[in-house]
Amino acid sequence: MDSQPWPSPGDREEGQRRPARGQPPGPGGDLGALLARVARGDQPAFEAVYDSVAGQVFGVARSVLRDPAQAEEVAQEVLLEVWRTASRFDAGRGSGTAWVMMLAHRRAVDRVRSRQASSEREIRASAPDIDYDVVAETVEGRLDAERVRKCLGALTELQRESITLAYYGGYTYREVAGLLEVAVGTVKTRMRDGLIRLRDCLGVDW
Amino acid sequence: MKIRRTDPHTLLGAYALDALTGADRARFGRHLGMCESCRQEARGLQEATGRLAAAAIAQPPDRLRERVFAAAAQTRQLPPLTRETSAWPGRRWGMAVACGLFAVALAFGGIAINTQHRLSQEQAHAGAIAAVLNAPDATMMVARAVDGGTATVVMSHLDSALVFTAAKLPALPSSERYQLWLMGSGRARPEGMLPALHQGVTAPMVVKGLAAGDEVGLTVEPAGGAEHPTSRPILLLSLPS
Repeated sequence: MDSQPWPSPGDREEGQRRPARGQPPGPGGDLGALLARVARGDQPAFEAVYDSVAGQVFGVARSVLRDPAQAEEVAQEVLLEVWRTASRFDAGRGSGTAWVMMLAHRRAVDRVRSRQASSEREIRASAPDIDYDVVAETVEGRLDAERVRKCLGALTELQRESITLAYYGGYTYREVAGLLEVAVGTVKTRMRDGLIRLRDCLGVDW
Repeated sequence: MKIRRTDPHTLLGAYALDALTGADRARFGRHLGMCESCRQEARGLQEATGRLAAAAIAQPPDRLRERVFAAAAQTRQLPPLTRETSAWPGRRWGMAVACGLFAVALAFGGIAINTQHRLSQEQAHAGAIAAVLNAPDATMMVARAVDGGTATVVMSHLDSALVFTAAKLPALPSSERYQLWLMGSGRARPEGMLPALHQGVTAPMVVKGLAAGDEVGLTVEPAGGAEHPTSRPILLLSLPS
């Protein structure tokens, strides 16, 4: 079905990052130096950034929005935003990847919520079909994705569900509480301590 | 709804996951402004959420690539923030300038405000300004209007708000005034008429509810204001995302 939020296993090969030229960051490497070049109008650097992040940007947008056409629009906006605002990226405040993915996730979520404001998004009684196993399936064999899966797997169920519904589903913490039928306060704490565990597990150095 | 006081630190996770909306987000932004250790933790958690994207990777259509590069070729890039317009980490210097400027603007504007507003409203207004100026992500920008004059904007994503003041704009006939707009995504939201200039400076205005892709625009309109811009903006400033 079209609405599947995750790439099917067949997409996987093509979906991998394929830095084409320039000095693309290696797996897990950072985009900071490339972004500095993009800020100076360096086209090959922008192409290398595109190749490095486009799959993730589009993937996050599709995961949150579900609709591939809208995801494509959002991905285009985000990638253009990277070009336009590269000079505002500040390496002292975080990694380049985190910056780009923050732009992407925030914009996808904003799109969902602005749409929601005009026509109330129905919140399904049961958890939506963001299937954790599907997440795992699509990242098989990919180093950083594999690590994410492993680290998500190390969380408690409630931590994991809270984080995946918010991140991949674009739900607010109050909506997540509704979906999981737990207290709002519980979701807040699970998100925080889940992310702390995730951060430590992923070896995030900030 | 009953409002309970809870430890705002617990919102750090939801914040890093973009799972906060409106009031929660603004309230948390104010807290972050006062809490260095929270900012540090937020940074770490945002790095972690950024990594989650790796598990959602999907192959975008080839046309996306063409469109992005075609659009980039026609899109001017934002200049870097210079010392005067610096956000972080040269921010203190820039903010000192901004605060000074707004203090001046407030002092001048205060003359007008005093006569028509209750004190509490003034305080709320000053509080809203202070919240933006003190936000940890406050960014200052200066833009030039086409016929002379400058606008100074300090914005905060955390607060989804900005403070606007203009200086040395050309004088208008009494039938016209400057009107402030939030533009972007093909729409324009009126944000009010610019207060009269006092010695060339306008009292600061606060614009709330910023969305991604918004731009701040200034147009010349009939003195009563317009629902939609009726003239080309004399100033258009893209807000950093």
